[in-house]
Amino acid sequence: MNTRIIGLGNSILTDDGVGIYAVRELRRCLKEALLDTNVDIVETEVGGFSLMELMTGWKRVILVDSIQFEGLEPGTVIRIQPEDLHTSLRLRSVHDIDLPTVLELGRRLGLAMPGEVSVFGIQAEDALTLGECLTDAAERGLKEAVNLILTEIRDSRFEIRN
Amino acid sequence: MYKVDPPPTAKKLREMYNSAAFVHSHIAHFYALAAPDFVLGPDSDPAKRNILGVVEKVGIPIASEVLKHRAIAQDIQITVGGRSTHPVWTLPGGVSKGITEEQRLEIIDKAKSCVEFSKFSLKLFEDIVLKNKAYLDIILSDTFEMDSYWIGTVDSKNCVNFYHGDHRVVDQKGKEVFRYKDHEYLDFISERVEKYSYLKFPYLKKIGWKGFVDGPESGVYMATPLSRLNAADGMATPLAQQEYEKMYSTLGGKPVKKLLATHWARLIELMYSAERLLELAQDPEVASPNIRTLPTATPEEGVGIVEAMRGILTHHYQTDKNGLVTKANLIVGTTNNNAPISMSIKRAAQKLIQPGKEVGQGLLNMVEMAFRLYDPCFSCATHSLPGEMPLIIDVINADGEVIHREGRTDKRSS
Repeated sequence: MNTRIIGLGNSILTDDGVGIYAVRELRRCLKEALLDTNVDIVETEVGGFSLMELMTGWKRVILVDSIQFEGLEPGTVIRIQPEDLHTSLRLRSVHDIDLPTVLELGRRLGLAMPGEVSVFGIQAEDALTLGECLTDAAERGLKEAVNLILTEIRDSRFEIRN
Repeated sequence: MYKVDPPPTAKKLREMYNSAAFVHSHIAHFYALAAPDFVLGPDSDPAKRNILGVVEKVGIPIASEVLKHRAIAQDIQITVGGRSTHPVWTLPGGVSKGITEEQRLEIIDKAKSCVEFSKFSLKLFEDIVLKNKAYLDIILSDTFEMDSYWIGTVDSKNCVNFYHGDHRVVDQKGKEVFRYKDHEYLDFISERVEKYSYLKFPYLKKIGWKGFVDGPESGVYMATPLSRLNAADGMATPLAQQEYEKMYSTLGGKPVKKLLATHWARLIELMYSAERLLELAQDPEVASPNIRTLPTATPEEGVGIVEAMRGILTHHYQTDKNGLVTKANLIVGTTNNNAPISMSIKRAAQKLIQPGKEVGQGLLNMVEMAFRLYDPCFSCATHSLPGEMPLIIDVINADGEVIHREGRTDKRSS
């Protein structure tokens, strides 16, 4: 097992939790399809240093998180490289370090940081209201993101065993 | 709320968990967020003024120790409470699991290591900050200053306590003016609403809200590591007490109003947390299986107050007879400091922006330092693109025209 998929967010803050819900759906789809993949799936609310610990030791990491990019339609899914990302709902905080810093710091300290990291960002419509349901837009984004990741999982790089 | 008193072991385990949280949070803030301003300098290249720059300067072995001890503290939380973030382990009347004797002994070793690391951190602060006259001058300048009331939780000897005790307010001269217990908080604290913010502005009810001003007539109070030290008469553990005395003798007595001393206070609290963690772990009772008193009464209403890393934390709940919450009010650490944060930023900007002085990235960072010292918990309010600190300085002339704007340009080169 060398790939970890991390769903990020706060599952009681409406669309903020879309990353969490997405990986839950991903897990369900993989189970339903009886795919024995070489993939580990985790849900987390943390960022910064804690994220570094979650990524250490994995060759490849995919992060799924909500985003609030100006001018983007709610529910839009975009794929981002960490170096392009100085923000997302969970990956930046004024009292912790951001994702590019996490990766660079880990490398400089000689930790086994993943060689490949990508982020699937789903544009949130409402990430401030207390709630355990997604908006329709984020729900659409979730489905699209899950399909995109499933496609990647079917890619040989994930060494599917079935 | 449930009219039940948890057994001593449960209280001690909860305090251990909270102490470990202080250790990892204070380590992260000092090394990742405060240290870049001092190790590299407040007006250094923004591209390098971050933890990567700190690592370059202090070396990888020290940086590894930072991460190691942050992780150790989180491991202790996981051992004690199952998770280091959002635990689901505390229950009415106690906790859902205890620790074994073997785990207790492991925690003793880890806590000892945290005490040593706290010593190292305070020595580093002394060598890098206190022995540098330029930095000491910045700390002692009136740019970062507040003449407010100070709040913190104290034990029966008026020493700082993070888990239980009275909540003590001292005035601008360090004299106790109020002291309240958890359930009395509404007699002492009010929350002002401003139309432009969804975050409220707490103030001292008996003094009253007089606007964004400090001084004895204004009910504005601060709840930070420095506040906790100002509001207490000392620390309850020996090494932290030594450092406490050193800070006040260096900075000219109590209360310290120089806000950048908050970083020093935070390191003293790091020492206290580590020492307290060790004290608790050395108590065999923490491994007792007696971890819960089952509640039998019908819940109604309750108030719980502890110290969180960024300030005093108040939870107030009312329930129906089934225990379902019908009303809740939370005043979290950073919320207490909402007015002081605004006032500190304004004061720093007013002091630093002077005729003929260039308004550049160095100056902008100095203003940000007034914000950063609070370790504000605004993680859910600052995430919009482009993802930079949303602080902009507009220099406005006498006609109200913006003649210069300075914002963050900290694009990393690496």
